[in-house]
Amino acid sequence: MKLDTSGFETSMPTIGFGSSSDMLDELSSVPSFDLPHTKEFDGFQKKAVDMLKHAKGTTTLAFIFKGGVMVAADSRASMGGYISSQSVKKIIEINPYMLGTMAGGAADCQFWHRNLGIKCRLHELANKRRISVSGASKLLANMLYSYRGMGLSVGTMIAGWDETGPGLYYVDNEGGRLKGDRFSVGSGSPYAYGVLDSGYKYEMSVEEASELARRSIYHATFRDGASGGVASVYHVGPEGWTKLSGDDVGELHYHYYPVPPAIAEQVMEEATAE
Amino acid sequence: MSIFEYNGSAVVAMVGKNCFAIASDRRLGVQLQTIATDFQRISKIHDHLFIGLSGLATDVQTLYQRLVFRHKLYQLREERDMKPETFASLVSAILYEKRFGPYLCQPVIAGLGDDNKPFICTMDSIGAKELAKDFVVSGTASESLYGACEAMFKPDMEAEELFETISQALLSSVDRDCLSGWGGHVYVVTPNEIKEKILKGRMD
Repeated sequence: MKLDTSGFETSMPTIGFGSSSDMLDELSSVPSFDLPHTKEFDGFQKKAVDMLKHAKGTTTLAFIFKGGVMVAADSRASMGGYISSQSVKKIIEINPYMLGTMAGGAADCQFWHRNLGIKCRLHELANKRRISVSGASKLLANMLYSYRGMGLSVGTMIAGWDETGPGLYYVDNEGGRLKGDRFSVGSGSPYAYGVLDSGYKYEMSVEEASELARRSIYHATFRDGASGGVASVYHVGPEGWTKLSGDDVGELHYHYYPVPPAIAEQVMEEATAE
Repeated sequence: MSIFEYNGSAVVAMVGKNCFAIASDRRLGVQLQTIATDFQRISKIHDHLFIGLSGLATDVQTLYQRLVFRHKLYQLREERDMKPETFASLVSAILYEKRFGPYLCQPVIAGLGDDNKPFICTMDSIGAKELAKDFVVSGTASESLYGACEAMFKPDMEAEELFETISQALLSSVDRDCLSGWGGHVYVVTPNEIKEKILKGRMD
Protein backbone atom coordinates (compact mmCIF):
# COMPACT_ATOMS: atom_id res chain seq x y z
CA MET A 1 0.00 0.00 0.00
CA LYS A 2 1.48 3.34 -0.97
CA LEU A 3 1.86 5.68 1.97
CA ASP A 4 0.22 9.03 1.29
CA THR A 5 2.95 11.64 1.74
CA SER A 6 1.08 14.50 0.07
CA GLY A 7 0.93 16.26 3.45
CA PHE A 8 4.73 16.32 3.57
CA GLU A 9 5.25 18.25 0.38
CA THR A 10 7.14 21.46 0.97
CA SER A 11 7.68 24.20 -1.57
CA MET A 12 11.42 24.22 -0.94
CA PRO A 13 12.52 20.64 -0.40
CA THR A 14 16.07 20.13 0.87
CA ILE A 15 18.40 17.20 0.74
CA GLY A 16 19.70 16.81 4.28
CA PHE A 17 23.44 16.23 3.85
CA GLY A 18 25.09 19.63 4.06
CA SER A 19 24.26 20.79 0.56
CA SER A 20 24.05 24.53 0.05
CA SER A 21 20.57 25.94 0.44
CA ASP A 22 20.55 27.30 -3.08
CA MET A 23 17.03 28.05 -4.19
CA LEU A 24 17.81 26.89 -7.72
CA ASP A 25 18.72 23.34 -6.70
CA GLU A 26 16.90 20.64 -8.59
CA LEU A 27 13.72 19.50 -6.92
CA SER A 28 14.39 16.37 -4.92
CA SER A 29 12.14 13.46 -5.76
CA VAL A 30 11.54 12.53 -2.10
CA PRO A 31 9.08 14.85 -0.28
CA SER A 32 10.31 15.71 3.22
CA PHE A 33 10.03 18.22 6.06
CA ASP A 34 12.52 21.08 6.20
CA LEU A 35 15.02 20.27 8.92
CA PRO A 36 17.67 22.56 10.42
CA HIS A 37 21.26 21.84 9.36
CA THR A 38 22.77 20.87 12.66
CA LYS A 39 24.70 17.95 14.10
CA GLU A 40 22.67 17.84 17.29
CA PHE A 41 19.03 17.94 16.35
CA ASP A 42 17.62 16.96 19.73
CA GLY A 43 18.98 19.79 21.83
CA PHE A 44 18.84 22.36 19.05
CA GLN A 45 15.43 23.84 19.83
CA LYS A 46 16.19 24.27 23.51
CA LYS A 47 19.52 25.96 22.74
CA ALA A 48 17.80 28.36 20.38
CA VAL A 49 15.32 29.37 23.06
CA ASP A 50 18.02 29.71 25.71
CA MET A 51 19.98 32.06 23.46
CA LEU A 52 17.41 34.78 23.94
CA LYS A 53 17.88 35.71 27.57
CA HIS A 54 14.57 37.04 28.81
CA ALA A 55 15.07 40.56 30.08
CA LYS A 56 13.95 41.35 33.60
CA GLY A 57 10.31 42.32 33.11
CA THR A 58 10.11 45.75 34.65
CA THR A 59 11.08 49.40 34.20
CA THR A 60 13.15 51.25 36.77
CA LEU A 61 15.19 54.37 36.33
CA ALA A 62 17.30 56.78 38.34
CA PHE A 63 19.22 59.93 37.51
CA ILE A 64 21.34 62.55 39.25
CA PHE A 65 20.49 66.21 38.75
CA LYS A 66 21.12 69.51 40.49
CA GLY A 67 18.59 68.82 43.25
CA GLY A 68 19.76 65.29 44.12
CA VAL A 69 18.76 61.90 42.79
CA MET A 70 15.39 61.02 41.25
CA VAL A 71 14.36 57.35 41.40
CA ALA A 72 11.27 55.93 39.67
CA ALA A 73 9.80 52.50 38.90
CA ASP A 74 6.64 50.75 37.70
CA SER A 75 4.83 48.17 39.84
CA ARG A 76 3.99 45.18 37.67
CA ALA A 77 5.10 41.60 38.32
CA SER A 78 4.68 39.21 35.40
CA MET A 79 5.10 35.43 35.12
CA GLY A 80 5.53 34.85 31.41
CA GLY A 81 2.38 36.39 29.97
CA TYR A 82 0.35 36.45 33.18
CA ILE A 83 0.29 39.55 35.33
CA SER A 84 0.70 38.28 38.85
CA SER A 85 0.53 41.67 40.54
CA GLN A 86 0.04 45.33 39.66
CA SER A 87 1.13 46.63 43.06
CA VAL A 88 4.68 45.50 43.75
CA LYS A 89 6.99 47.88 45.61
CA LYS A 90 10.05 48.05 43.41
CA ILE A 91 11.78 50.88 45.21
CA ILE A 92 13.25 49.45 48.38
CA GLU A 93 14.08 51.70 51.31
CA ILE A 94 17.46 50.49 52.52
CA ASN A 95 17.77 53.21 55.15
CA PRO A 96 16.44 56.78 55.46
CA TYR A 97 18.99 58.19 53.01
CA MET A 98 19.48 55.32 50.55
CA LEU A 99 17.16 53.65 48.07
CA GLY A 100 17.53 50.51 45.99
CA THR A 101 15.49 49.53 42.93
CA MET A 102 14.25 46.05 42.13
CA ALA A 103 14.58 44.39 38.74
CA GLY A 104 14.84 40.66 38.16
CA GLY A 105 13.82 38.16 40.82
CA ALA A 106 11.66 39.79 43.48
CA ALA A 107 12.84 37.51 46.28
CA ASP A 108 16.50 38.02 45.38
CA CYS A 109 16.18 41.79 45.30
CA GLN A 110 14.18 42.04 48.54
CA PHE A 111 16.50 39.74 50.46
CA TRP A 112 19.77 41.24 49.32
CA HIS A 113 18.60 44.80 49.82
CA ARG A 114 17.54 44.00 53.38
CA ASN A 115 20.87 42.27 53.89
CA LEU A 116 22.62 45.39 52.60
CA GLY A 117 20.59 47.51 55.02
CA ILE A 118 21.83 45.36 57.89
CA LYS A 119 25.43 45.69 56.76
CA CYS A 120 25.08 49.47 56.40
CA ARG A 121 23.73 49.75 59.94
CA LEU A 122 26.54 47.59 61.29
CA HIS A 123 29.03 49.87 59.50
CA GLU A 124 27.42 52.91 61.13
CA LEU A 125 27.68 51.36 64.57
CA ALA A 126 31.26 50.21 64.09
CA ASN A 127 32.58 53.43 62.50
CA LYS A 128 30.28 56.06 64.08
CA ARG A 129 29.47 57.51 60.66
CA ARG A 130 27.16 56.71 57.79
CA ILE A 131 28.39 54.49 54.98
CA SER A 132 28.93 56.16 51.62
CA VAL A 133 26.84 55.18 48.56
CA SER A 134 30.05 53.96 46.97
CA GLY A 135 30.77 51.73 49.96
CA ALA A 136 27.25 50.36 50.16
CA SER A 137 27.14 49.49 46.46
CA LYS A 138 30.55 47.85 46.75
CA LEU A 139 29.31 45.66 49.62
CA LEU A 140 26.34 44.55 47.51
CA ALA A 141 28.41 43.98 44.36
CA ASN A 142 30.97 41.84 46.21
CA MET A 143 28.22 39.78 47.80
CA LEU A 144 26.55 39.17 44.43
CA TYR A 145 29.91 38.35 42.81
CA SER A 146 30.46 35.56 45.29
CA TYR A 147 27.14 34.02 44.16
CA ARG A 148 27.99 34.36 40.49
CA GLY A 149 26.68 31.56 38.29
CA MET A 150 24.24 30.31 40.92
CA GLY A 151 21.21 31.78 39.22
CA LEU A 152 20.53 34.94 41.21
CA SER A 153 18.70 37.53 39.16
CA VAL A 154 19.30 41.06 40.42
CA GLY A 155 19.51 44.29 38.39
CA THR A 156 19.51 47.08 40.92
CA MET A 157 20.47 50.71 41.30
CA ILE A 158 21.68 52.07 44.62
CA ALA A 159 20.84 55.75 44.98
CA GLY A 160 21.69 57.91 47.97
CA TRP A 161 23.14 61.08 49.36
CA ASP A 162 26.40 61.02 51.32
CA GLU A 163 29.19 63.48 52.24
CA THR A 164 30.34 63.74 48.64
CA GLY A 165 26.85 64.63 47.45
CA PRO A 166 24.39 62.54 45.41
CA GLY A 167 25.52 59.05 44.42
CA LEU A 168 24.13 56.52 41.93
CA TYR A 169 25.48 53.06 41.20
CA TYR A 170 24.21 50.20 39.05
CA VAL A 171 24.84 46.69 40.45
CA ASP A 172 23.82 43.40 38.85
CA ASN A 173 23.87 39.69 39.53
CA GLU A 174 26.99 39.14 37.40
CA GLY A 175 28.86 41.21 39.99
CA GLY A 176 29.08 44.29 37.77
CA ARG A 177 29.11 47.71 39.43
CA LEU A 178 28.95 50.96 37.47
CA LYS A 179 28.97 54.55 38.65
CA GLY A 180 26.88 56.89 36.56
CA ASP A 181 24.47 59.80 36.22
CA ARG A 182 21.55 58.13 34.44
CA PHE A 183 20.47 54.51 34.48
CA SER A 184 17.41 52.56 33.48
CA VAL A 185 17.05 48.84 34.12
CA GLY A 186 14.57 46.25 32.86
CA SER A 187 12.67 45.23 29.74
CA GLY A 188 11.09 48.68 29.51
CA SER A 189 14.41 50.51 29.83
CA PRO A 190 14.95 51.28 26.11
CA TYR A 191 11.64 53.18 26.05
CA ALA A 192 12.40 54.97 29.30
CA TYR A 193 15.90 55.93 28.07
CA GLY A 194 14.37 57.50 24.97
CA VAL A 195 12.23 59.89 26.98
CA LEU A 196 14.75 60.39 29.78
CA ASP A 197 17.73 61.18 27.55
CA SER A 198 15.85 63.65 25.38
CA GLY A 199 14.37 65.55 28.32
CA TYR A 200 17.33 65.53 30.72
CA LYS A 201 19.06 68.72 31.87
CA TYR A 202 21.30 68.84 34.93
CA GLU A 203 19.80 72.18 36.03
CA MET A 204 16.22 70.86 36.31
CA SER A 205 14.19 71.72 39.35
CA VAL A 206 12.74 68.98 41.55
CA GLU A 207 9.28 69.37 39.95
CA GLU A 208 10.64 69.14 36.41
CA ALA A 209 12.78 66.15 37.29
CA SER A 210 9.90 64.30 38.92
CA GLU A 211 7.67 65.00 35.91
CA LEU A 212 10.43 63.71 33.59
CA ALA A 213 10.81 60.55 35.67
CA ARG A 214 7.05 59.95 35.76
CA ARG A 215 6.72 60.52 32.02
CA SER A 216 9.58 58.15 31.25
CA ILE A 217 8.01 55.38 33.31
CA TYR A 218 4.61 56.06 31.72
CA HIS A 219 6.02 55.76 28.19
CA ALA A 220 7.80 52.54 29.10
CA THR A 221 4.60 51.04 30.51
CA PHE A 222 2.76 51.98 27.32
CA ARG A 223 5.19 50.21 25.01
CA ASP A 224 6.45 47.36 27.17
CA GLY A 225 4.05 44.55 27.99
CA ALA A 226 5.89 43.56 31.15
CA SER A 227 5.69 47.01 32.77
CA GLY A 228 2.62 48.70 34.16
CA GLY A 229 0.58 49.42 37.27
CA VAL A 230 1.65 52.45 39.26
CA ALA A 231 4.52 54.82 38.46
CA SER A 232 6.24 55.67 41.77
CA VAL A 233 8.69 58.55 41.96
CA TYR A 234 11.09 59.13 44.86
CA HIS A 235 13.51 61.98 45.45
CA VAL A 236 16.76 61.64 47.40
CA GLY A 237 17.98 64.94 48.80
CA PRO A 238 20.49 65.99 51.45
CA GLU A 239 17.98 65.18 54.22
CA GLY A 240 17.20 61.72 52.86
CA TRP A 241 14.55 60.33 50.53
CA THR A 242 10.89 61.29 50.14
CA LYS A 243 8.20 59.68 48.04
CA LEU A 244 6.89 62.29 45.63
CA SER A 245 4.10 60.50 43.77
CA GLY A 246 2.50 57.22 42.88
CA ASP A 247 0.22 57.58 39.86
CA ASP A 248 -1.74 54.81 38.17
CA VAL A 249 -0.45 54.69 34.59
CA GLY A 250 -3.88 53.76 33.26
CA GLU A 251 -5.10 57.18 34.37
CA LEU A 252 -1.83 58.92 33.41
CA HIS A 253 -2.41 57.94 29.79
CA TYR A 254 -5.69 59.82 29.58
CA HIS A 255 -4.13 62.70 31.51
CA TYR A 256 -1.35 63.08 28.93
CA TYR A 257 -3.48 62.13 25.92
CA PRO A 258 -7.10 63.00 26.70
CA VAL A 259 -9.72 61.51 24.40
CA PRO A 260 -11.32 64.43 22.52
CA PRO A 261 -15.00 64.51 23.46
CA ALA A 262 -17.16 63.35 20.55
CA ILE A 263 -19.15 66.17 19.05
CA ALA A 264 -22.75 65.40 19.87
CA GLU A 265 -25.07 65.48 16.93
CA GLN A 266 -27.14 68.63 16.87
CA VAL A 267 -30.74 67.87 17.65
CA MET A 268 -33.02 69.49 15.13
CA GLU A 269 -35.73 71.31 16.89
CA GLU A 270 -39.06 71.38 15.22
CA ALA A 271 -39.89 74.85 14.01
CA THR A 272 -42.75 76.06 16.10
CA ALA A 273 -45.65 77.30 14.05
CA GLU A 274 -46.01 81.00 14.67
CA MET B 1 6.65 31.98 24.91
CA SER B 2 4.89 29.98 22.23
CA ILE B 3 4.20 31.17 18.71
CA PHE B 4 0.56 31.76 19.62
CA GLU B 5 1.75 34.31 22.17
CA TYR B 6 4.03 36.15 19.76
CA ASN B 7 1.57 38.92 18.90
CA GLY B 8 -0.87 38.67 21.83
CA SER B 9 -4.64 38.75 21.48
CA ALA B 10 -7.97 38.38 23.27
CA VAL B 11 -11.31 37.64 21.60
CA VAL B 12 -14.65 36.83 23.20
CA ALA B 13 -18.20 36.34 21.92
CA MET B 14 -21.41 36.14 23.92
CA VAL B 15 -25.01 35.22 23.19
CA GLY B 16 -27.97 37.38 24.19
CA LYS B 17 -31.68 37.46 23.46
CA ASN B 18 -31.90 37.48 19.64
CA CYS B 19 -28.56 39.25 19.53
CA PHE B 20 -24.89 38.56 20.02
CA ALA B 21 -21.78 40.52 20.93
CA ILE B 22 -18.21 39.94 19.84
CA ALA B 23 -15.26 41.82 21.32
CA SER B 24 -11.50 41.89 21.02
CA ASP B 25 -8.52 43.80 22.34
CA ARG B 26 -6.61 46.21 20.11
CA ARG B 27 -2.95 45.50 20.79
CA LEU B 28 -0.48 44.31 18.20
CA GLY B 29 2.86 43.43 19.75
CA VAL B 30 6.09 41.65 19.03
CA GLN B 31 6.56 39.63 22.19
CA LEU B 32 6.72 42.27 24.93
CA GLN B 33 7.00 45.34 22.70
CA THR B 34 3.76 47.04 21.68
CA ILE B 35 3.73 48.04 18.04
CA ALA B 36 0.19 49.26 17.48
CA THR B 37 -2.93 49.95 19.53
CA ASP B 38 -5.52 49.84 16.76
CA PHE B 39 -5.22 46.35 15.30
CA GLN B 40 -8.40 44.94 13.77
CA ARG B 41 -9.09 41.42 14.94
CA ILE B 42 -12.81 41.21 14.29
CA SER B 43 -14.08 41.42 10.74
CA LYS B 44 -17.51 41.38 9.16
CA ILE B 45 -18.32 38.63 6.72
CA HIS B 46 -21.86 39.86 6.17
CA ASP B 47 -24.34 41.90 8.19
CA HIS B 48 -25.23 39.02 10.48
CA LEU B 49 -21.90 37.18 10.59
CA PHE B 50 -18.66 38.24 12.23
CA ILE B 51 -15.38 36.43 12.71
CA GLY B 52 -12.74 37.29 15.30
CA LEU B 53 -9.31 35.76 14.89
CA SER B 54 -6.71 35.48 17.64
CA GLY B 55 -3.14 34.26 17.34
CA LEU B 56 -0.35 35.13 14.93
CA ALA B 57 -1.25 38.44 13.28
CA THR B 58 -0.04 37.59 9.81
CA ASP B 59 -2.21 34.47 9.74
CA VAL B 60 -5.15 36.49 11.12
CA GLN B 61 -4.97 38.81 8.15
CA THR B 62 -4.33 36.12 5.53
CA LEU B 63 -7.01 33.79 6.82
CA TYR B 64 -9.52 36.64 6.90
CA GLN B 65 -8.77 37.50 3.28
CA ARG B 66 -9.21 33.86 2.20
CA LEU B 67 -12.52 33.58 4.05
CA VAL B 68 -13.91 36.77 2.55
CA PHE B 69 -12.94 35.46 -0.90
CA ARG B 70 -14.72 32.15 -0.30
CA HIS B 71 -17.81 33.90 1.02
CA LYS B 72 -17.99 36.24 -1.95
CA LEU B 73 -17.80 33.25 -4.31
CA TYR B 74 -20.62 31.62 -2.32
CA GLN B 75 -22.71 34.79 -2.59
CA LEU B 76 -22.23 34.85 -6.35
CA ARG B 77 -23.19 31.22 -6.76
CA GLU B 78 -26.05 30.96 -4.24
CA GLU B 79 -27.29 34.58 -4.45
CA ARG B 80 -27.62 34.77 -0.69
CA ASP B 81 -25.50 35.13 2.44
CA MET B 82 -23.96 32.10 4.14
CA LYS B 83 -25.57 30.79 7.29
CA PRO B 84 -23.30 30.93 10.35
CA GLU B 85 -23.35 27.15 10.80
CA THR B 86 -22.27 26.64 7.20
CA PHE B 87 -19.55 29.26 7.55
CA ALA B 88 -18.20 27.54 10.64
CA SER B 89 -17.93 24.28 8.71
CA LEU B 90 -16.16 26.15 5.90
CA VAL B 91 -13.60 27.63 8.32
CA SER B 92 -13.07 24.24 9.92
CA ALA B 93 -12.39 22.64 6.52
CA ILE B 94 -10.00 25.41 5.45
CA LEU B 95 -8.05 25.06 8.69
CA TYR B 96 -7.79 21.27 8.44
CA GLU B 97 -6.48 21.54 4.86
CA LYS B 98 -3.35 22.90 6.52
CA ARG B 99 -3.18 20.15 9.13
CA PHE B 100 0.62 19.72 8.93
CA GLY B 101 1.49 23.38 8.56
CA PRO B 102 -1.43 25.14 10.20
CA TYR B 103 -2.60 28.71 10.27
CA LEU B 104 -1.52 29.74 13.75
CA CYS B 105 -4.79 31.34 14.77
CA GLN B 106 -7.94 30.45 16.68
CA PRO B 107 -11.14 31.82 15.17
CA VAL B 108 -14.25 32.89 17.04
CA ILE B 109 -17.34 32.95 14.84
CA ALA B 110 -20.53 34.74 15.82
CA GLY B 111 -23.66 35.17 13.75
CA LEU B 112 -27.46 35.33 13.63
CA GLY B 113 -28.96 32.28 11.97
CA ASP B 114 -32.48 31.41 10.92
CA ASP B 115 -35.19 33.17 12.95
CA ASN B 116 -32.47 35.49 14.26
CA LYS B 117 -31.19 32.81 16.58
CA PRO B 118 -27.66 33.73 17.69
CA PHE B 119 -24.87 31.27 16.91
CA ILE B 120 -21.34 31.30 18.34
CA CYS B 121 -18.49 28.88 18.05
CA THR B 122 -14.72 28.75 18.39
CA MET B 123 -12.09 26.47 16.92
CA ASP B 124 -8.52 25.51 17.60
CA SER B 125 -5.88 26.13 14.96
CA ILE B 126 -6.63 22.92 13.05
CA GLY B 127 -10.39 23.27 12.89
CA ALA B 128 -11.91 21.47 15.89
CA LYS B 129 -15.28 23.19 16.34
CA GLU B 130 -16.55 23.99 19.78
CA LEU B 131 -20.18 25.17 19.82
CA ALA B 132 -21.40 26.90 22.92
CA LYS B 133 -24.72 28.30 24.06
CA ASP B 134 -23.36 31.08 26.22
CA PHE B 135 -19.88 32.39 25.41
CA VAL B 136 -16.64 31.48 23.68
CA VAL B 137 -13.15 32.90 24.23
CA SER B 138 -9.77 32.72 22.55
CA GLY B 139 -6.31 34.29 22.73
CA THR B 140 -3.53 34.75 25.25
CA ALA B 141 -5.98 36.02 27.85
CA SER B 142 -8.35 33.07 27.37
CA GLU B 143 -8.01 31.64 30.88
CA SER B 144 -8.82 34.97 32.51
CA LEU B 145 -11.65 35.41 30.01
CA TYR B 146 -13.19 32.05 30.91
CA GLY B 147 -13.27 33.04 34.55
CA ALA B 148 -14.67 36.52 33.94
CA CYS B 149 -17.36 35.35 31.48
CA GLU B 150 -18.43 32.47 33.71
CA ALA B 151 -18.92 34.89 36.58
CA MET B 152 -20.65 37.68 34.67
CA PHE B 153 -22.77 35.87 32.09
CA LYS B 154 -26.55 35.60 32.38
CA PRO B 155 -28.77 34.02 29.73
CA ASP B 156 -31.16 36.10 27.58
CA MET B 157 -29.60 39.50 28.07
CA GLU B 158 -30.77 42.39 25.93
CA ALA B 159 -28.33 44.27 23.71
CA GLU B 160 -27.51 47.07 26.21
CA GLU B 161 -26.83 44.73 29.10
CA LEU B 162 -24.91 42.35 26.85
CA PHE B 163 -22.64 45.19 25.79
CA GLU B 164 -21.90 46.11 29.40
CA THR B 165 -21.23 42.50 30.37
CA ILE B 166 -18.92 41.67 27.51
CA SER B 167 -17.00 44.93 27.93
CA GLN B 168 -16.44 44.37 31.63
CA ALA B 169 -15.41 40.75 31.07
CA LEU B 170 -12.94 41.74 28.34
CA LEU B 171 -11.36 44.67 30.17
CA SER B 172 -10.94 42.88 33.48
CA SER B 173 -9.39 39.84 31.75
CA VAL B 174 -6.89 41.73 29.61
CA ASP B 175 -5.81 43.69 32.69
CA ARG B 176 -4.31 40.42 33.89
CA ASP B 177 -2.46 39.74 30.64
CA CYS B 178 0.81 41.41 29.59
CA LEU B 179 0.27 40.65 25.92
CA SER B 180 -3.24 41.90 25.23
CA GLY B 181 -5.31 44.95 25.98
CA TRP B 182 -4.56 48.57 25.18
CA GLY B 183 -8.25 49.23 24.52
CA GLY B 184 -11.18 47.17 23.33
CA HIS B 185 -13.38 46.85 20.27
CA VAL B 186 -16.96 45.62 20.70
CA TYR B 187 -19.65 44.82 18.13
CA VAL B 188 -23.21 44.21 19.32
CA VAL B 189 -25.40 42.81 16.57
CA THR B 190 -29.20 42.65 16.63
CA PRO B 191 -31.45 41.71 13.71
CA ASN B 192 -31.78 45.38 12.72
CA GLU B 193 -28.48 47.03 13.50
CA ILE B 194 -24.79 46.64 14.21
CA LYS B 195 -23.37 48.78 17.00
CA GLU B 196 -19.62 49.21 17.01
CA LYS B 197 -17.91 50.69 20.08
CA ILE B 198 -14.31 51.34 21.09
CA LEU B 199 -13.53 50.81 24.78
CA LYS B 200 -11.21 52.98 26.84
CA GLY B 201 -8.98 50.58 28.71
CA ARG B 202 -5.74 50.63 30.63
CA MET B 203 -2.90 51.41 28.24
CA ASP B 204 -0.21 49.50 30.09
